[in-house]
Amino acid sequence: MRLCLSCFSLALCLGASLLAIAAEEPFRPEQGKFPPLDKSVAYRGELVFVDHATRRGSLRVEFKSEFFRSPPTPFAMLPYGMVRYHGAPADLRDIPIGTIMNIRAFLPPDPKNSSVVTTPNHWYPLPLENHAILIEDEPSLCLREGKTWKLKEVDLQNNQGIVLATRDSQDAAAAKGPEEKLTIDSTTRFWRGRENLSLADLVAEGTWPASGKKSLGGQSVLLGLIWKPCPDGIFVRYHISDVWLDDKATQRAIQSQTEVHKSLIRSRWMPAFVDKVEYGKFGRATATVTLFGGMDPSLYADFKKDGYTGAINGAENTLKHAGGSYGPAHMASQGTILEVIKTPGVAPMGSSGIQVRFETDLIIEGIRPGRVVRIRPSDWPKVYIPREEFLGEGAKIEDRFPRPDIFPVYR
Amino acid sequence: MKIFLVLRSSFFVLSSSFFVLGSSSIKVFAANEAQGTKNQEQVAEIYRPQAGKFPPVEKAHAYRGELIFVDHANRRGSIRVAGEGMFRRNDPHPFAMLPYGMVRYHGAPADLRDIPLGTMMHVLAYLPPDPRISAVPVLPENNKEKDAGHYRGAGVFPAENHVLLIEDEASYCLREGKAWKLKEVELQSSNQGMILATLEAKQSGDGKATEQKLTFDGALRIWRGRECLTIAELIAEGAWPASGKKSLNAPSVLLGLTWKPTPDGIFQRFHISDIWLDDAAIQRAAKNQTETHTALIRGRWMPAFVDTVEYGKFGRATVTVTLFGGMDSSLYADFNKDSPVLINGAENTLKHDGGHYGPGHLASRGTILGVVKTPGTAPMGSSGIQVRFETDLIIEGIRPGRVVRIHPKGWPDVVLPREEYLGDGPRQEDRFPSPAIFPKYNL
Repeated sequence: MRLCLSCFSLALCLGASLLAIAAEEPFRPEQGKFPPLDKSVAYRGELVFVDHATRRGSLRVEFKSEFFRSPPTPFAMLPYGMVRYHGAPADLRDIPIGTIMNIRAFLPPDPKNSSVVTTPNHWYPLPLENHAILIEDEPSLCLREGKTWKLKEVDLQNNQGIVLATRDSQDAAAAKGPEEKLTIDSTTRFWRGRENLSLADLVAEGTWPASGKKSLGGQSVLLGLIWKPCPDGIFVRYHISDVWLDDKATQRAIQSQTEVHKSLIRSRWMPAFVDKVEYGKFGRATATVTLFGGMDPSLYADFKKDGYTGAINGAENTLKHAGGSYGPAHMASQGTILEVIKTPGVAPMGSSGIQVRFETDLIIEGIRPGRVVRIRPSDWPKVYIPREEFLGEGAKIEDRFPRPDIFPVYR
Repeated sequence: MKIFLVLRSSFFVLSSSFFVLGSSSIKVFAANEAQGTKNQEQVAEIYRPQAGKFPPVEKAHAYRGELIFVDHANRRGSIRVAGEGMFRRNDPHPFAMLPYGMVRYHGAPADLRDIPLGTMMHVLAYLPPDPRISAVPVLPENNKEKDAGHYRGAGVFPAENHVLLIEDEASYCLREGKAWKLKEVELQSSNQGMILATLEAKQSGDGKATEQKLTFDGALRIWRGRECLTIAELIAEGAWPASGKKSLNAPSVLLGLTWKPTPDGIFQRFHISDIWLDDAAIQRAAKNQTETHTALIRGRWMPAFVDTVEYGKFGRATVTVTLFGGMDSSLYADFNKDSPVLINGAENTLKHDGGHYGPGHLASRGTILGVVKTPGTAPMGSSGIQVRFETDLIIEGIRPGRVVRIHPKGWPDVVLPREEYLGDGPRQEDRFPSPAIFPKYNL
């Protein structure tokens, strides 16, 4: 009896310890599942380096100290990670170096296969959450969160100066943002309707002063932000690269970037997770996939049921096609779209919430539950993709799992 | 094989196309008369730039391609070089900027960080000056003559990967006095289609240049004065048809070119990202890019070669440097006699040797004794402007042939981001970046 009690106590203690460990266990996304956004870490920084073919890069992460000392910190996009630029879907290749980006990221799902470093190599308080589910520029963040910049005052000297502004919610009941000082100069582009104006144009119109201060009356705009080294020991102060003065101008920027991205996805195919595979005979199977999110609705609308044909190809976490020397369609599994299902409720970030059931007579290792695939309806253009965007035959291990050692270590 | 291109006028204006130069260079190699002496002659012809000297542009090899990758902090990247075969199969080809190598975008000075990935660029390049410390892979000297196989053809992996000039299509046309003449547009749907155009001399084009087919789509930006127009707006104005073909009467424009995968087995067809319809529009683009670059150089300092050092006593010396070329003239105008100056050692990547507290912290100080415009036409890469100054802190980084960065009075005193200086006690790979970061592709 005593032994039993002891065992029971031990089991309780062990159970409690395991629970405690589980509670302390950091969250990592799992393969084939979209992680809850509330488990992600948010930060922002300057885009310093891009390796778009393997969907990774470096950010100079903002922290409460001397920004210039923050060494470029590598990040990798999760396979379903989304890039947004000018309020529209984008690819890392579309983002100019130097742009201030807002990021939501997790710890590496599988540190062994991470394409970026998983341990800190410096003493700065930089995040270990370097696998991004969302990376977006300032206008995209503002549009998504319903915020705008309110311009309070400008102070100009010799074609450069300081703008005093707040980033406020469009919800009148929400608290106002703090006043921020932002720099501006003759490189700043002002977008008004179809016009691309310079600072000199605004001065000539009398909207802005040639020199000295002028109140801007809380004018509501969107801003593109970059960073330039600041004099006078300023730790962090951003620079305005673009000002969208009206909705029409913003909509034109959105439309242009949307077209760029649509063209990319139609030629590179829609990325998706394989949810399940119902195996048939002689290599036949029906695969259910969930299309990744954040694309233009017209792309999803191209997936139509009842006899629409298409093709599906294995891909890596970098979204590189597994084969493509003769175009990705050459080795892809052909088939028919049986069904397109909108899953109920709000889709998690990274997911479109759209499932496609696809029957093929060539079920391969790359099309297994949890794997990343790329899928195309047959009326998308059938093109060959450039060499760096597919693995090639007899792919080496480092082609599938890019090594993090291309990133310099700064001391 | 001697000089086969005559430099006719100033600096930026060459009397013939660099494309002709590049292909002529290949042909001359092929035309050596005696087969038995070919190897010996080729060895004799190998040219490499020397440290501290600006190489003759007629020794450069010209090619063009799509910008794929940029490591702007080390002034290197990759380009998909256009040959005669299947463009899409050409692996990204690494290149490094020579210290005096110039980048131009929208007809203005630029940095590699300013160029969007995917842009078609024209390149003038040499063999690595010192292959042992090349920041990009070193290839056999005659690599451009080899057929790369797999329907890629020759010339797509040139060993000449150290760049004197890399510029976008608009810059190339402005420098060469060329323009695109739009002959016909065909709308295949509401927002994509094909343009038939020729590239000819802007003033005296005879309309006989080879017609090229170029694609465009809904992302096309059309610049007219201060306006940025869409295809739909040109259609609404009646300038372009809503569908089908229309002759365009060959208006003279500048184009921004990129590349997109092409259907129907087309080996090589470029894509129009931008059209500048008038001079006002391109002048505005050039002005914006000039301002961007001017701000960069004022923050990072003017790069230069050390020409001579006249040593004095107790660390004092008089140094003469030649400022690198291709910048906006307002930057050179900031160097004035009798004004104070800062000078800092730099690497071939133009990274400052020290900068943890800003490059000004460890820089040598001095006074400008004179600013001299050297006679004649400056070679490409050089401004032709020499600055003579005296310092009381002559250091190892300021020796003849070395690269330095120099800061005149009035430029901002700022601290640089971490990747743009070497830091204290730099390691070998900080000074000489390893080419190992570039992936090797198998087909």
